[in-house]
Amino acid sequence: MHTQDFPQLASIERIEQGFEALGYICSTKIATAVFLAFQLRKPVLVEGPPGVGKTELAKTCSELLSVPLIRLQCYEGLDEAKALYEWKYGKQLLYTQVLKEKLGDLLHGAKGLAESVERLHQFGDIFYSEDFLEPRPLLKAMQQERGAILLIDEVDKSDYEFESLLLEILSDYQVSIPEIGTVKADVSPMVFLTSNNSRDISDALKRRCLHLYIPFPSVELEERIVRSRVPDIDATLRHQLVAFVHSLRELDLKKAPAISETLDWARSLLLLHASELDTALVRSTLNVLLKFEDDINNAESGLDELLRGAGSAG
Amino acid sequence: MQAALTGFIQLLRSHDLRVSPAETLDAMAVASALGYADRGRLRDGLALSLAKSAREEAILLRCFDQYFGRELVGEKPAAADPAADPATTGQEAPASADEDARLLAEGAAEFAALAEALQTPLLQQLLADDRTELSLSLGQAGAATGLGNIRMFTQKGQYTRRMLDALGEETLRRAVVELEQAGSPLLELLKGYRDRLRDEVRGYVEQQYLLNAEGHNRQFMDDILSRTRLNQLEQRYMDEVRELVRKMARKLAARHSRKPKVHKRGQLDMGRTLRRGIAHDGVMFHTHWRKVRRDKPQILALCDVSGSVAAYAKFLLLFLYSLQDVLPRVRSFAFSSHLGEISELFRDYPVEKAIELANWRYGGATDYGRSLEDFAELALGDINSSTTVIILGDARNNGGDPKLEIMQGIYQRARRVLWLNPESRRAWGSGDSDMLRYQSACHVAAECNNLQQLERIIDQLLRQNH
Repeated sequence: MHTQDFPQLASIERIEQGFEALGYICSTKIATAVFLAFQLRKPVLVEGPPGVGKTELAKTCSELLSVPLIRLQCYEGLDEAKALYEWKYGKQLLYTQVLKEKLGDLLHGAKGLAESVERLHQFGDIFYSEDFLEPRPLLKAMQQERGAILLIDEVDKSDYEFESLLLEILSDYQVSIPEIGTVKADVSPMVFLTSNNSRDISDALKRRCLHLYIPFPSVELEERIVRSRVPDIDATLRHQLVAFVHSLRELDLKKAPAISETLDWARSLLLLHASELDTALVRSTLNVLLKFEDDINNAESGLDELLRGAGSAG
Repeated sequence: MQAALTGFIQLLRSHDLRVSPAETLDAMAVASALGYADRGRLRDGLALSLAKSAREEAILLRCFDQYFGRELVGEKPAAADPAADPATTGQEAPASADEDARLLAEGAAEFAALAEALQTPLLQQLLADDRTELSLSLGQAGAATGLGNIRMFTQKGQYTRRMLDALGEETLRRAVVELEQAGSPLLELLKGYRDRLRDEVRGYVEQQYLLNAEGHNRQFMDDILSRTRLNQLEQRYMDEVRELVRKMARKLAARHSRKPKVHKRGQLDMGRTLRRGIAHDGVMFHTHWRKVRRDKPQILALCDVSGSVAAYAKFLLLFLYSLQDVLPRVRSFAFSSHLGEISELFRDYPVEKAIELANWRYGGATDYGRSLEDFAELALGDINSSTTVIILGDARNNGGDPKLEIMQGIYQRARRVLWLNPESRRAWGSGDSDMLRYQSACHVAAECNNLQQLERIIDQLLRQNH
């Protein structure tokens, strides 16, 4: 991708503005990462707790640039046939059946086995050409004319072997297919990898990427996010609910509420026509924020104090 | 500015961040894409490209603040003014500086040494309060005296002296002596400037010490800790040792996970290929290759948690469980008077807590015979040719029946049996130690009482599993 094609990415400020217009409020650091990824043509490895907008970042980027988003969801056992390319076996089979009949004509007049084989050798490996190639996400991302956003989601769920497969793609934006040769991207895609840190990513992969860690946002940033995503909500309630979520994150929870949960909660409060947080309301809607029974019990026991901390009537 | 950046990377390396040459180039590219004008942005950018985890990022940001706090001279270093003591230098507002210069110039007619001192750029800079020039001179003097090599806090005085000499403080000193002998009223004034210079230099040396020595001191400390006998480590070092174990484990994990798996693509299996082709009307679409298949290794760790060995068991377990990525199938057993499996403790609790619980559950007078019986009942059936059994204990059986036949049974079934004994080899077999007998039923029996030995043994273990 070149700068002249995408003026949206020309400076950090423009990226921030562009993202904001699309409803993705980000810190300067995130914008810097996108800017650098674009300028240096490097993939970005995005880490952080679940629900802070890692996947959303890639989606917003593709919206901002209006290029396709190609997503590869990683899981244990993912291999190159599903990630990179596969041969169209069915088509190959069908064509051999059709061509079988032609075989007689082809070999007509050949003397002996040696000569027949000789004649067959004169034909290239037609069955292993691009016509029979089924591109999977990684190869597809290389082939896009205007460039693409490639999102390799939850790369920590894949196996170590798969990581090595990614190395060639991420450093040179090319894929080696033994039967054909090297396929190089004309317009290199912008790559985002996300990880939830369920295991360590290998150093080789990390070295090729910009490492972006997205933590839970600050109170101020989160309020802006809520304002942009749930614009109808009342300002005082918004302030209270963000402060409450922040104090929840201080507790020892199995899973701390992320931005997506804050937004869900804000939407539910809006539906309930709440104007202010109170104990009963919070108690009845706490299951939107917390997903484990233990966490809910834990939070309920100190609910009054939490609410007082959040500056509400209690 | 490039020199500053390489200096910064040097600093990162001394703080345990691995920065390869390629990453140095990346950092340069980042700096040129972002420019040096916006400090915060450069900080973010370098963090993005050089740090590889949240932990590394925190270190990097701290180093950045330390390092570029001084380096970006244009910004007028705020903290670099330790000479704020009002008794000596309080009067040095720029307005009175001109006055001082005039007074001193008048005195120069009278005193030869003062005249000489006034000629030097050093005093000129001090008089003019030219911070940029002064910090440049400090930097040059620092480079000339090799201040970057400072390692110990005891070296600070020595380096301060050398710095002062390199700056040409001698002429200033001589002028002070001369004024003192003559009892001139200018003495206090000049002394003020001299003290100010000394403070300046002392502050600079202090800063350089923090920058350069901290990282090296930690390496030094790590080195010592990894060679100390584990049961003699003081409680206050425990946190550091734990961190060290994790670091070693990470290193081992990185080394061994990088090795390509032996998954040989062997010869073409013609028979199977033909059989598979039948479905496609004899067309051989799927080729079948003979493969060499390797099972993932399974490790059974038996740890003596009686008082004498518990400290070691802790570290062995800490090590093994820090290696989950390369050794996913570790089962652990704790024993003393009897034996039980403690794997599930490690699933439910963090490693330290789990070890504590195991200690509490199985501690007591050691009975190796009974413990081996328990083990045979629990796990002997699971031992096969891909199993490695690690036993950690001092083999001091309190005179009980050693049940050597069970050990021999394990020895025959397992791929490898390793016995780690924290006692030194000379003590094996003395008193109630059954080590020499048990040793006959082990593939390897090794002495293991500090982290380095532990690391070496586990390294070998991993190597042979490939």
